[in-house]
Amino acid sequence: MTEKRLNFALIALALVLVTGCAKPPTEQIEAAEKAVAEAQQSGAATYVAEEYTKLEGALSALKKEVADQDTKFALLRDYGKAEQLAIAAKTDAERVKGEAEKKREEAKTAALQAQQAAQESVRVTLDLVAKAPAGKDRAALEAIKADADALKASLNQVQIAIDKADYQAAQKQAEAIREKSAAVSHEIETALAKIGKGKAPAKKK
Amino acid sequence: MTKHQRLMYSFASGCVFLVLVVILTACTEAVPQDVVEAIESIDRNLMDLRAAELAPDDYSRFAHQWIALKARVEAEEDLIHWPWEPNELDLALRKLYEEGIQTVARVADQRKVLRETAEHKLTAVENRFQVLTDQVGAIDSRLVLGQQLIETDLLVKQARAFFEDGKFERSIEASDKAGQMLTSQATVLSNELGRYADHGRIGRWQRMAKDTIAWSQRHHTSAIIVSKADRVLTLYKNGQKVLSYPVRLGFNGIREKRYQGDGATPEGRYHITGKRGQGQTQFYRALLLDYPNEEDRRRFHSARKTGLIPASKGIGGQIEIHGVENELMAQTLGCVMLENAQMVYLYDRVEKGTPVTIVGALHEHNSVAEALANLGQRNTI
Repeated sequence: MTEKRLNFALIALALVLVTGCAKPPTEQIEAAEKAVAEAQQSGAATYVAEEYTKLEGALSALKKEVADQDTKFALLRDYGKAEQLAIAAKTDAERVKGEAEKKREEAKTAALQAQQAAQESVRVTLDLVAKAPAGKDRAALEAIKADADALKASLNQVQIAIDKADYQAAQKQAEAIREKSAAVSHEIETALAKIGKGKAPAKKK
Repeated sequence: MTKHQRLMYSFASGCVFLVLVVILTACTEAVPQDVVEAIESIDRNLMDLRAAELAPDDYSRFAHQWIALKARVEAEEDLIHWPWEPNELDLALRKLYEEGIQTVARVADQRKVLRETAEHKLTAVENRFQVLTDQVGAIDSRLVLGQQLIETDLLVKQARAFFEDGKFERSIEASDKAGQMLTSQATVLSNELGRYADHGRIGRWQRMAKDTIAWSQRHHTSAIIVSKADRVLTLYKNGQKVLSYPVRLGFNGIREKRYQGDGATPEGRYHITGKRGQGQTQFYRALLLDYPNEEDRRRFHSARKTGLIPASKGIGGQIEIHGVENELMAQTLGCVMLENAQMVYLYDRVEKGTPVTIVGALHEHNSVAEALANLGQRNTI
């Protein structure tokens, strides 16, 4: 009878030891890591760099806490703090992702607006070049025409930067094109005003 | 209770109260709020300095520690300690505060250095670009560079815009790229126009001019020399200089003529093949030249064979010395243009058969060679 009781007690103790061991909050940790990865994909490292660095810090702190608990005797492990950290990291990551997306969208909008303004400005310049007289008088505008063509070609660079999601570069480039295009248009208008109407085209040269 | 006992009781109560007051007021909070606020302020400073972009490792080290401590701050916010108890959190926060101060100073220094570097590079590239624009304008070689001049202009503008936005790394990147383009353009100019600084070539041009003048002397007649670098036409009579007039050339006149429509003014020994008076030309008066001559044809066909000239291009023609149709027209398509009054004077002093020698330059210190030298010097800065 006594032996049976002892066996029962040992089994009960073993059950307590096994079921009583705390486990890391794997799901919450994975959710936090996923949220941080999503924040990174949304451009957080570019648009909210400091916030993103803190997220990485939060993940490090979380991993350290789990590692600290893992080194303890099984019965003494407590992953409560790790769980809190994981939940907080996930919440923060979602907030940072939202901020990054907002800033990225703002940058994209600004780049697209600048691109549109540059396209319009170059179109005006090319229209002015087309209005320039043909024939020998056209020679005076050849250099300006080359500039207008170069500006038109540069618009491709803006599109390439937009395609690469480098909105800052796209915006600056587009603004530079618009500024230069306005200057070239002014130059053409001045030249046209000086030259007046042209004659029939010359043959050779 | 006797009076004495009451007195003793009151005294004891007072003492207990006093001890409690002393003990309670001596308790300290586990979290030093002033230090926490100071660290938060440091973090804001680092964010203002764009530390994550500028010094990612430094900021990462600070931010990771701060995040770890922040979790402890939140957990221990309501705890109090006896003054004699060790407070590890307090120590860790103060240590981070000290490190944070140093990080701010270090990042601020880095930012200052970066700003100065960006400013230096931007100023240098803006100056170089201005010099290139001025030199290219001075020798009418804008078209030699094609689209590169505009591309460089755009890059310089971007570098300036990034600098003004405080994005110094991107400004430096754009300045460096613009600098490389400027170097490449100086090379293109040197390759295209290097003959203006070539001793051998200048010697040949000088001999061509000398032969033409000698011919004028021998035949007691007129001869014309045009120097493209100087943009000067000189009329000789019996080997003696009669007059010099400034001229305008093709819109790409400084280059060597290669094919029809390239805007270049040809170099070579030509002759006047015809004279067109008022009403016979749209350019007031014109002297027709025998471009292309045999030498031009040989050069053209050789270049076309080697693929230097596209098969679709012709050799061109109708190169003239003419007057101005419109007073404000700046360039020609490859001809030599004079002011109308000067054209009249010249027109009356030459005839069909008069030799016209067009050369790149007549002396080594010509405007193109000087422009190339200036650009070369700037590139070494």
